Amino acid sequence: MKQEEEKNIHLKFFGIPRLIPYVRPYRRMIIWMILLGGASSAIDALYPLFTRYALDNFVGKMSTDGMGIFVAAYIALILFQAVINFKSTYDCGKVELYLNRDLRNTAFNHLQTLSFSYYNQNSVGYIHSRVMSDTGLIGELMSWRMMNFVWNGSFIAGILVVMLIINPRLTAYILILVPIAIVLLTWFQKKLLFYNRKIRELNSRITGNFNEGITGAKTIKVLSVEPRVIDDFQKDTREMRHTSIREAHFSALFISTVTMLSSIVLALVLWKGGKLTQERLMGLGTLSVFMSYALEMLDPIQNIIETLSAFVAIQVNIERLTRLLGEKSDVADSPEVIEKYGDTFHPKKENWEELTGDIEFKDVSFHYPDGTDYVLSHFNLKVPHGQNVAIVGETGAGKSTLVNLVCRFFEPTDGQILIDGRDARERSQLWLHSSIGYVLQTPHLFSGTVRDNLRYGKPDATDEEILEALRLVSAEEVLKKMDKGLDSDVGEGGDLLSTGEKQLFSFARAILADPKILILDEATSSIDTVTEKAIQNAIQVVIKGRTSFVIAHRLSTIVDADVILVVKEGRIIEQGTHKELMRQKGYYYNLYMRQYEELSWNKLAEE
Amino acid sequence: MQKYDTKIQLIFHFLKGAKRFFVMSALCAAMVSLLDMLSPRIISFTVDCVIGSDEPAVPGAVRRFLDMAGGIPALRAQPLLIAAAVAFVGALAALFRYLFRSCNARGAERFVERMRNELFGHIMYLPYTWLSENSTGDIIQRCTSDVQTIKRFISEQMTSLVRTFILIIMALTFMARINGHVMLVSFAFIPIIVAYSLFFHNKIGSAFEKADIEEGKLSTIAQENLTGVRVVRAFGRETYERERFETQNTGYTYFWIRLIKLMSAYWSSGDILTGSQTLAVVCLGAYLCVNGKLSAGNYIALISYNGMLMWPVRTLGRVISEMSKAGISIERLRYIMNSEKEKNPENAVTPRIQGDLVFDHVSFTYENGSAEVLHDVNFTIREGQTVGILGGTGSGKSTLMYLLLRLYELPPENGKITIGGYNIADMEASHLRRNIGMVLQEPFLFSRTLSDNIGFALQNRLPEADKGAHSKSSLNVHMEKIRQAARIASIDDVIESFSEGYDTFVGERGMTLSGGQKQRAAIAQMLIRNTPFMIFDDSLSAVDAETDHKIRTALKEFLSSSTVLLISHRITTLMNADQIIVLEGGRIAESGTHQELLAKNGLYKKIFDLQAAGAEEIHAS
Repeated sequence: MKQEEEKNIHLKFFGIPRLIPYVRPYRRMIIWMILLGGASSAIDALYPLFTRYALDNFVGKMSTDGMGIFVAAYIALILFQAVINFKSTYDCGKVELYLNRDLRNTAFNHLQTLSFSYYNQNSVGYIHSRVMSDTGLIGELMSWRMMNFVWNGSFIAGILVVMLIINPRLTAYILILVPIAIVLLTWFQKKLLFYNRKIRELNSRITGNFNEGITGAKTIKVLSVEPRVIDDFQKDTREMRHTSIREAHFSALFISTVTMLSSIVLALVLWKGGKLTQERLMGLGTLSVFMSYALEMLDPIQNIIETLSAFVAIQVNIERLTRLLGEKSDVADSPEVIEKYGDTFHPKKENWEELTGDIEFKDVSFHYPDGTDYVLSHFNLKVPHGQNVAIVGETGAGKSTLVNLVCRFFEPTDGQILIDGRDARERSQLWLHSSIGYVLQTPHLFSGTVRDNLRYGKPDATDEEILEALRLVSAEEVLKKMDKGLDSDVGEGGDLLSTGEKQLFSFARAILADPKILILDEATSSIDTVTEKAIQNAIQVVIKGRTSFVIAHRLSTIVDADVILVVKEGRIIEQGTHKELMRQKGYYYNLYMRQYEELSWNKLAEE
Repeated sequence: MQKYDTKIQLIFHFLKGAKRFFVMSALCAAMVSLLDMLSPRIISFTVDCVIGSDEPAVPGAVRRFLDMAGGIPALRAQPLLIAAAVAFVGALAALFRYLFRSCNARGAERFVERMRNELFGHIMYLPYTWLSENSTGDIIQRCTSDVQTIKRFISEQMTSLVRTFILIIMALTFMARINGHVMLVSFAFIPIIVAYSLFFHNKIGSAFEKADIEEGKLSTIAQENLTGVRVVRAFGRETYERERFETQNTGYTYFWIRLIKLMSAYWSSGDILTGSQTLAVVCLGAYLCVNGKLSAGNYIALISYNGMLMWPVRTLGRVISEMSKAGISIERLRYIMNSEKEKNPENAVTPRIQGDLVFDHVSFTYENGSAEVLHDVNFTIREGQTVGILGGTGSGKSTLMYLLLRLYELPPENGKITIGGYNIADMEASHLRRNIGMVLQEPFLFSRTLSDNIGFALQNRLPEADKGAHSKSSLNVHMEKIRQAARIASIDDVIESFSEGYDTFVGERGMTLSGGQKQRAAIAQMLIRNTPFMIFDDSLSAVDAETDHKIRTALKEFLSSSTVLLISHRITTLMNADQIIVLEGGRIAESGTHQELLAKNGLYKKIFDLQAAGAEEIHAS
């Protein structure tokens, strides 16, 4: 898996400018939200004036005249502010949710167009959290945190303006804080970024440890190494604690420093203001109001600092999400092809030619985008339609490469793949994919009903067609066991079914789609003999009359294949029919002999 | 074993070692609040009494202190002194603010560390059956996100609860000192605001749960799309996927928008409540001032104290409703922590593992209620013998070994397994396993280096490189053992061919080994332990015939003194064993040496013929 290249992020303004295109549709809402937020802050700044009024007119004049109007005005203000607050928080929430939705949709849709090299280089967990959690954090950042920032900022600005009007000289002392805060921010930003990143890394390591501890439990118990595994685990958690405490140390220091500086400034103002008052250059009431304003600033300053720390923490997520969105597919249709055949989401089916299924590898050389070693060089193979090609070899030997090329999940580095005599790149990916059926070794079903799943390749299939397909692969028995027939739920990822049952359903799904080209990635896991027999039969039914590629683990299934390709360490080392290869007494012969012994048990069971 | 009857008990168990930090952090938080309140006091005092000429309304002790320092006139002559006091209080507040956050982080991190360690440690000793019955994803979910929820609750909500209480009490006390009536009026609003907040959060709680479910659905769609990317592409169903995702995404978003509307209404109406509170204090205070019962300075102070009440009171309701969320998470951890660990019998024995291995009328059925896997299996293996167990898929040969290693416990009424006369059920499980090496059918390598994987079970871990010359020699000894094991398992050459050799990282974040390479690494991993019993469970199935032969020859020399069990479906693997046991359908069909079994002309002979014939048939073609 590719490790994230997060080492050198230097995003300007925490990466926020990159989000502008996504924010643009909501600019009106955002402006309203900010204006109203500002208005609310402005009203907050008015409350001390009320106090001052009470102080001057009631306390100062020793009378309660006008108290009624005062109360009425105050209540009106409170109500007015409540309305404003409702509108602005509601808007803010909407902005957050719309942004989340749009970012998720954009990321998800973009992923549908990325080529397989992206999926091979990034784990599903990694991509999933880009779509699901980064988007949420960014939405929150651009709405609540932004609003918080703007509110507090405008509150401070408002107070500063009032203070400037009351006494510019004293206000100047407060402004000293600004440059200091900026210097502090840049210094702490670096530190915090460093520790945040390390924490994230440790966090995924700890989750990995849990995963390994559970999936590897049998091995751990058999080796009796629990103490050591626990010890190693505790090493990671200890490091996590130390790092997190370091991070907390710096963020606490940051906030404390800023608040301390603010009180020093406050003291300065009190001293200078006191002097001015004693020298009769300023009234006592004015000083008192000025000081209460200055005190009011302390909390917003803290809030702003905390918001800035959050900005620092989230810029990594912004970087990662925008990198995903900027990722280019290395298998892309040319503009001319899109013009004629349509793109991923807007196919122009009326221009699609019928696909026959003749496939030819013409002088194909290939290496994976993340490697430099050629796994195919000048490879030639003609597969007329209806032929059955088997690919055999050990786990990890690179059996999927040919299939990846046929499906155009990858494109040859050199040479051509011809489909019905024309270069695959002359037609759109969707055109090709619509004619391919794919049955995976770990069958993949989607949550939903049996019907939903079987219709996946043919959305308009009738129940009769579905049942017929199930019958062809002898999966009716499985369906009978399920209480609601085709409406039965298969669970998340088909978890309510056994592997064998999932396998049969995925065969039925492939048959329904009636593809011209069929890819079978055969199961390695041991299934009971009865199910295995059923699956064997299903395979025979499915491949009839289609160009098929079978990635085989059980060699007994492929002895009748038209051509067998033997793969070792990423290269095709032998090629021929079963008989030819057995006669060669090479690698295939050995593979076959190894499995034959296991097969003898099945034979015995059949007798 | 310790059981946690209540959630509180479990929390306190996890809190061990962290409590003092939380207590410290709550105290510091209170200090911060106190000092934050002191600043306005000093300022109002200065404005009123030092710069102005009001009579100071300060407690007796402060007054005596002031008099000692020369009284107010002295202060008036030293304005810098007061400024210094304000700055000092501010600096002190900053110090405590730092201490509060730092202590809180120390407590929280210690708490999380302990939670994780306790969970992991517990899980490691849970019976294998437990681990196979519970879904991995679910356990990990509990150990990661539930742990985070609890951490946040304890470190953020709980400390904020404590802080809130202290703050409310302090603010009210100060207010009471200045004027009891105003305090009472202000206090009267608190229960109303808290009740309102509680009412709202209870009402909205179920909506939050529903939102979680909707989010789960969305997350599942994304997850399934990503893991099934091949299926999606091969069927050309991108548009369908897009619609599916967007529909759920939109539904989820609008659900939340309705929620946000409710919450905005709650927040802004809450503002009205707190606003009225302030208004009441402002008016009452002004009224009292007019009647001469309150000084102007005290009036300002009262209002600022009242302002400090606002925020904590409003969070109170939220904290209480968060409690129920955290409660669910704690319950989920309690499930793990209360699961029974692997049982060791009382007074477990740890005899030297030697002598004959006896399976005495062993029958076994897995707990999930499927058919009997083993039926009345009875055999003896003499010390030092090499025994082959032959059987097809589902014949129960692996189960035999799992029982021997006590990965599954054999109920006493279903027979017993003894070694040297000791019932293995009376032994300490770890002692038993340390003396029986086993290579699993599907080997698992950890994401570490190859040398780490092979040397995993060595008593002394690989010394760390930076410990200097002293460990140099022990490092060499260690590496030599690893190399030797790798040579016997005939994986030495393969490892040396990697550019990083034995330091090559394998597993999830490293290199992928082929099935055969994995098996050989697992063999080396077992050999290094040099145990008196060694079991090979179909361990050479993915290795080609030539290597298979090479390994077997090397093993023969190495294993001479150990008792060896070879499990296979391949006759050539075990035909040279001293004794061969043929299993079929969980029963012993026959046993004896290769020659004896052939002579019996039974199942073994049939298999032999089939396997030999298979080879011949191929030769012929």
